[in-house]
Amino acid sequence: MTLAIQLPQVGLRRYGSLLSAMAWGALAVAAAVVLLSLFASVLAPYDPDYVDLNNVLAGPSGQHLLGTDALGRDLLSRLMHGGRTSLLGPTIVVIGSTVLGLLLGLVAGWSEGWVGKVLGRLFDLLFAFPALLMAMLAIALFGKGLFAPILAMTIAYVPYVARLAQSLVVAERGRPYVQAYRVLGFRTPWVVLGRVLPNLIPTVGAQSTLNFGYVLADLAALSFIGLGVQPPTSDWGAMIEESRGALLGGYILPAFWPALVVVLVVVAVNVIGEELSDRIGGKLS
Amino acid sequence: MSQLLQIENFTLGFPGRPPLLDSVSLHVNDGEAVALVGESGSGKSLTTRAALGLFPGGSQSSGIVSVQGLDTLTASKQRLMELRRRRASMIFQDPRAGINPVRTVGDFLTETLVRLDGLSRAEATERAVTQLDQVGLRHAKELMDQHPHQLSGGMLQRVMIAAALLNSPDLLLCDEPTTALDVTTQAGIVRLLREEQQSRGMGMLFITHDLNLAASLCERVYVLRRGEVVEQGQTQTVFLTPQQDYTRQLVEATPVIEVGGLATPVVAGSPLLKVSGLSKTYQLPRGEIITALDDAGFALPEGGSLGIVGESGSGKSTLARLVVALETATSGELTLRDVRRPRRPLKASERKVLAKDVQIVFQDPYLSLDPRIPVGNAVADVFRLHQKQGRKEAKDSARVLLGRVGIGAERFDARPRALSGGQRQRVALAKALAARPRLLVLDEATSALDVSVQAQVLELVEELRDQLGLTILFVTHDLAVVSRLCSELLVMHEGRIVEQGPTARILEDPGDDYTRNLIASRPRPLWDAEPVTA
Repeated sequence: MTLAIQLPQVGLRRYGSLLSAMAWGALAVAAAVVLLSLFASVLAPYDPDYVDLNNVLAGPSGQHLLGTDALGRDLLSRLMHGGRTSLLGPTIVVIGSTVLGLLLGLVAGWSEGWVGKVLGRLFDLLFAFPALLMAMLAIALFGKGLFAPILAMTIAYVPYVARLAQSLVVAERGRPYVQAYRVLGFRTPWVVLGRVLPNLIPTVGAQSTLNFGYVLADLAALSFIGLGVQPPTSDWGAMIEESRGALLGGYILPAFWPALVVVLVVVAVNVIGEELSDRIGGKLS
Repeated sequence: MSQLLQIENFTLGFPGRPPLLDSVSLHVNDGEAVALVGESGSGKSLTTRAALGLFPGGSQSSGIVSVQGLDTLTASKQRLMELRRRRASMIFQDPRAGINPVRTVGDFLTETLVRLDGLSRAEATERAVTQLDQVGLRHAKELMDQHPHQLSGGMLQRVMIAAALLNSPDLLLCDEPTTALDVTTQAGIVRLLREEQQSRGMGMLFITHDLNLAASLCERVYVLRRGEVVEQGQTQTVFLTPQQDYTRQLVEATPVIEVGGLATPVVAGSPLLKVSGLSKTYQLPRGEIITALDDAGFALPEGGSLGIVGESGSGKSTLARLVVALETATSGELTLRDVRRPRRPLKASERKVLAKDVQIVFQDPYLSLDPRIPVGNAVADVFRLHQKQGRKEAKDSARVLLGRVGIGAERFDARPRALSGGQRQRVALAKALAARPRLLVLDEATSALDVSVQAQVLELVEELRDQLGLTILFVTHDLAVVSRLCSELLVMHEGRIVEQGPTARILEDPGDDYTRNLIASRPRPLWDAEPVTA
């Protein structure tokens, strides 16, 4: 009956296996970065804050694999330690925005009356504010550091999750299986939280994975303009910022490495997210 | 008579898997109407598409599929195009899926005439209008400027037939062209196809799952099962004296109106369900008001069985949803077990009480179960909620109940995805019964199933009704299904009840014109065809 759909399948399947090879690669990159950051205190060759003024802006060598920065600090060690703050921020933001977004989306999608409409408009309003602008506002209120940007980003990314969850819930609500639960007399909270919510998680999870990459880049950008993590804490965005002087002096490596890692992680996470949403999308349709 | 379509030992499959079609042989002569009958997955669509040179990507095939001597397995793209444009046309099940919704009917019909046949726009329009006229569409000129959404399903299928006939094909392939339509609409389309086929001397291959329909249209029939032709011959012979077990089962499972075996209607004191003056209207965003149900009134005694029959838009599903409180009535009264239904959405506590009185089984077995929950747990959840059973006890009860509806213990942990349509409907039935309701509403609960599966599920419902003393409210479009299960009948049309009474009486001596039309529209075998009057 579905011949028209089957026609291009052979080509698609080949494409599909290519994609998953890429996803495996992406997963390996992401895992490597996470593990190296997590165990930085054991694995890192040097103290990230150890200043060695006799050895500034050195190129890669046996002693310093990626070289040193303008204060002679080991770049590899700083990268590994910096991964902690750089990855921690997006992790908190993604978890926070996913939980909040799911809950708000469930409420908005389930209530047929004005509650759903008001929440929907609120999401639209939040969409209109760029995440970075929100973060700067929060920093103005709460001061520099990790807390304000994380709070602002969490709020800024809630509508991405909530809008998706809302539309999914609206679709699920009309399905016969949900109506059957109602007729069977199950309470609404049980149906919504126990039955409908788990059916949304794969799709929402894919969206949140994508969000991780965006948040990572946004937070790095905040650190770069000096509003995020403050020195001497190592952070990828802050590392790029600290290397501005060196960059102007012709030394690109201190800025290049953190930039490369940010790009690698963002791309890897996006590939994984795309793969997840493709697979789930294919399964649902 | 020469062979128009000839299929010899046609085998088709994907490498490394059992074949989808296995040595299928069939032929259609000039001017002959042939039916290809089979259940879902039997390969009937694959076979028919092969005649147009349409094969699933990556499949391997062998044998001969030839239309007027052109072998579609080996023919060049050019020749196949030529074949599809001039010699063979196809009509599909869903007319809406086959037409561009943003272009007019006129654009759709004249496009190929202008672009490929080199007709001028005026000539093409004239030909299209003539053709629309011929397929029984009035106001053909105005129709040309209308968009598909302005037409009903039946009208649109006539447009598709007109499009298929525009190039005067020698072979017409019909893939379940009436399955998505109402019975009365189907009757008109079938008549049209028969007339066109006869007057043009076209060959026709008609795919259907409905033996009755095949018998009303085609002289010869092929019965396909799992990619193999199991029986073939004159329709009458195959229908009346089937040789193969499978064909016999199929014939037996095909619902026919029979009023002999019905139980006499239950007459009881106080009715279980009583409805009077019940109406439901919806207001569209533009302020228009739609009356889905208008002043319905009936009573259903405890232990009775009431069939509600009507076509799409008749209000039958609205009525069913009102009974189970998925909708709230606009006016009128509904009393179930002496409890008057409030005219507002029910509170959670009220709903839980109501659940023990009435349950529903929906039409689509693929959507009415939670995809993530193993079927055993789904049923056990209901036992825990309503029978206050513990986790383990509920699982045991679920196992017993599922066994009773024919789902073995080995399927207890299966997800709905792993079950067939019939099995899912059995699970849905078990879920509903776990609440131990008095009244069971079946909303087209067997319409999406193959005939043989439908027969089994109906049998199960009958059995359960007798064992548990259930009261049944069966909503369906199919008179034959009702005649088997329900002693009382209620016929609905455009939101109103047009007739109600004992099923036997209504079927034998309908009192309303619409009911008469509904009964007359059922496909009738060619061999005892009385002219169908509409």
